[in-house]
Amino acid sequence: MSLRQKLLLLFSLTVAAAVAAVGWTVLVRIRQVFERHDQDETALFVSQFQREFQHRSASVAAAIDRIANQDHMRSVAFELVQSGDAAPFLNEALSLAQDAHLDFLEIVGPDGNIVSSAQWPARFGYPDPAASDLRSTPFLKREDLPDGSTALGLFAVRTIRGAEPPVKLIGGVRMDQTFLADLPVTPGMQVGLYSDPTASGTIETSARQNSPATFDPNKLVGVDGTVTGASKYLPLIEQARRTGHDANGILYLTANREDSIAVTAIPLKNSAGNVLAVLTVAISRSGLVAEQKQIREIAYGVAAGGILLAIIFSLWIAARVSRPVEELARAAEEVAGGNWDARVPERGSDEVGVLARSFNHMTEQLENQREKLVQSERVAAWRELARRLAHELKNPLFPLQLTVENLTRARQLPPAEFDEVFNESTQTLSMEIGNLKKIIGRFSDFSKMPKPELERIDAKDVIERVRSLYAAQSDQGPRIEVVAKIEKAPMPLMVDPELLHRALSNLVLNAKDAMPEGGTVTLSAQNRESNVEICVSDTGQGLTPEECERLFTPYYTTKQHGTGLGLAIVQSVVADHAGTIAVESREGHGATFVITLPRADV
Amino acid sequence: MLRRFAISCVVALAAISAAARTRPHYGGTIHVEIAGDPWERPSGVARRLVYDGLTEFDSGGALRTALSVAWEQDNNFHRWQFRLRQGVRFHDGTLLSSATVVASLNASCRTDCPWNSVKAVGPLVIFTNDSPMPNLPSLLASDQFLIALTTRADGKTSGAIGTGPFQVTGFNNGILALAANENCWSGRPFADAVEVRVHRAVRDQWLDLSLGHADVVEIPAEQFRQAQQQHLSVHASLPLTLLALQVNDTGALANVKLRAAIASAVDRSALYNVIFQKQGEITAGILPQGMTGYSFLFPPDRDLNRAHELRGGLATGTLTLSADGEGAEQLAAQRIALNLREAGFNVQMAAAGVQHADMVLRMLSIAGDDPAAALERVLWDFGDPAPVTEQTPAALYKREQSILDDRKIVPLLDLPLAFATGPRLRDLHLRADGTPNLPDASLEDTR
Repeated sequence: MSLRQKLLLLFSLTVAAAVAAVGWTVLVRIRQVFERHDQDETALFVSQFQREFQHRSASVAAAIDRIANQDHMRSVAFELVQSGDAAPFLNEALSLAQDAHLDFLEIVGPDGNIVSSAQWPARFGYPDPAASDLRSTPFLKREDLPDGSTALGLFAVRTIRGAEPPVKLIGGVRMDQTFLADLPVTPGMQVGLYSDPTASGTIETSARQNSPATFDPNKLVGVDGTVTGASKYLPLIEQARRTGHDANGILYLTANREDSIAVTAIPLKNSAGNVLAVLTVAISRSGLVAEQKQIREIAYGVAAGGILLAIIFSLWIAARVSRPVEELARAAEEVAGGNWDARVPERGSDEVGVLARSFNHMTEQLENQREKLVQSERVAAWRELARRLAHELKNPLFPLQLTVENLTRARQLPPAEFDEVFNESTQTLSMEIGNLKKIIGRFSDFSKMPKPELERIDAKDVIERVRSLYAAQSDQGPRIEVVAKIEKAPMPLMVDPELLHRALSNLVLNAKDAMPEGGTVTLSAQNRESNVEICVSDTGQGLTPEECERLFTPYYTTKQHGTGLGLAIVQSVVADHAGTIAVESREGHGATFVITLPRADV
Repeated sequence: MLRRFAISCVVALAAISAAARTRPHYGGTIHVEIAGDPWERPSGVARRLVYDGLTEFDSGGALRTALSVAWEQDNNFHRWQFRLRQGVRFHDGTLLSSATVVASLNASCRTDCPWNSVKAVGPLVIFTNDSPMPNLPSLLASDQFLIALTTRADGKTSGAIGTGPFQVTGFNNGILALAANENCWSGRPFADAVEVRVHRAVRDQWLDLSLGHADVVEIPAEQFRQAQQQHLSVHASLPLTLLALQVNDTGALANVKLRAAIASAVDRSALYNVIFQKQGEITAGILPQGMTGYSFLFPPDRDLNRAHELRGGLATGTLTLSADGEGAEQLAAQRIALNLREAGFNVQMAAAGVQHADMVLRMLSIAGDDPAAALERVLWDFGDPAPVTEQTPAALYKREQSILDDRKIVPLLDLPLAFATGPRLRDLHLRADGTPNLPDASLEDTR
């Protein structure tokens, strides 16, 4: 990743993180505010609803009161007490209930037995435990019905005045959809009633009291029938039933948050404190969610815009910051590649400007130093050449000089002795002139090393040629064994086989020269990744580290007699084939020359 | 003297006019209002107005001829032949023949007839059966075997066409219109027409009666006292309508002990004292006390402990109870359901008329003065036909005892039928089955 990209990423992430942090904080805070407002509103609605519920309860009690205070009822009660005959009043409760729009009404005689029942006329003569309830406030009761079902109702008990012992009226309204429909609800509010049939009722339901309470979604009814998503109300209803207190929560009817509702479950209890039913007040949160969504969308839009601006700004900043550095990097790369003329523009007076100026100065200095170094190396090379030349030439020149002096002196001798001296001297002169020619030939060869003519060969072939050449010569002189250890896999090379042969020959000769007492020269070759590695090892005395350093310098030699060009030629050949050469040696343990050449098939 | 003569003339005229007022007048329309269906059994008011049977009961309960003029049995009551009255025509003019009678009888009972075969042979209708049919003539007087024209001459299925004193002229807006059959074999009725307003609540019937919109209205047994308190002109029959619980002897109640437990659990007193307002009589016998004299021997008291004992730990599941009729019958059925729940039975009320309920509360007409025939008719009505040949009270008692011991029939109450009439209607009497005899009733001078 480039510096510009890193800077861009860094700036963008920083801005995005800052925007996200601010946005998240704002949204969380807004949500808290909204939810508190929602809770307050819900509580207000629920409280209002509960007041309306109480009002409805009071209206039930008032209806029973009105019936109880009717003259007709008083005369019925009086007659009932006087005659003790309840038969004439069997249907009384039904007509009274119909007139008063009550779902339940019973006339209970002084003995506590039902005289007339609107909801279950056949129950005359049976006791009604609710008659003993002395409370004046309405209460909840589960009423058994002739069809075996039970119904939850809101009841009140009133005594008909004038009759002694008292005759009572127990009446009420059914708590069902109709009851819920009569309750005033605000728009967005949904009221439901969950009626638990397993709660205690009268003697007829005693068998059902022990059955476990299970949630039946179909029993949660609203004004329009079964409440949608009733099964989701289960936790709140169960909590209300279990604790006997209101339970609040937010329910999500669908995956869409706008369909969520704030629900309050209000337990409705009978006189014994048993929860007979649970009233649910659900207030739609669609408005709240829509507002939150709108705010969130605005926030996201602003954040997105901010981040986009930040990215654009970051791009500009990154470009401005990274451009000088990129220029410096490119220039440094050029310098590393050898182009010491690379320069960078010098802009500004900040650290980057100082760096640019320093770079330019440095490269200028480097170039100057290189010039000097090249010149000094050239001078050193000339000096070395001159020294070697002087040394090489001096050897054959001295015998030449002696021989000429001998000849000059031999002119004074008799002709026979002069002839003998003349013949010896001419032989010596011819031999030394041959040596001179040889020395000059080597220098000439090194000065005009040919360009390699590449062809595809296998390294094994060249090595084998060299080995066989020098293995045959190993019979003369000290016992030197020349062995080859060549990898069986193909080792293709694009080389000039003659030049390579020559280089390897030089190395083998050097190796032989390094083992005057005899030894082993090992030629080895192997594939090494994308290269072919050719090694020439000897078992001679080895080289010191200093000798290793200078080994490839032209005219440097450790031999008493040598031009010092052999390894230079080897190095030149290797370099011409885009290879490398190195030496590994420890004093007393021989030396290994390692030539690395690129494989031809890579 | 002249004054005396004048006074005498005036007195004589007054006497003559008074006498004239006692003679029934022809004409007018009798307005009847009922809460149920005019064609329902056993006491649908229109049935006896439109149809006749081969035999019928007179007002005293004695069997007499109707569409047949004579009958005789043969082969120890295995065979009966009835000679048809001649010259009788159906309302559409079709002549009454033995073939039409046979067709009607076959349509009445289809495969469940008290006889194996019924044939038309000339003017005779001949019944044969593998078992003796000693009470066939009495059985034929029940309203199940009233004769109707089933297929017209053109081959189409007929409507309500009979030979009775009135014929159906229409049914509109809840009013069944009947017109007098001018050529009725039993004589033209006094009224020109009868209009029966159906499915009218009893309260509304009484209101119409008081306003003069109705001439005959129903008085359910449980409202008899109220009717008297309101000074209605009430005509009530003897308690000849049996309210009984029919208990199915298959399924959950195949065990006779369970049926006995049911019989022991029912509280007749509550039904009598409260629901039916002390009208009629509590009974535990099939035939009323007035007919047999031994009905009191069957114990009617409730024994809840015995009911629990008989039920034991036997499980029955949920039993269904339905009731024929509305109003007090439904209330009585609900009460019986409560009684049975106290005895440990789980009873649910089924809708009226539901088929195959475990128990059905039924109203049956016990007409006639022959206990054996009446008992056989009851058995027939309960779907358990068997000939009753016992003639002596002791034998009948034993027979009835054996029927009751099976606990498929639990008699509860004998109830009267009652009607209230308006001031226009005269000479209304009730038949043996308690239904009003409208053909013999007349209206005040309509001029």
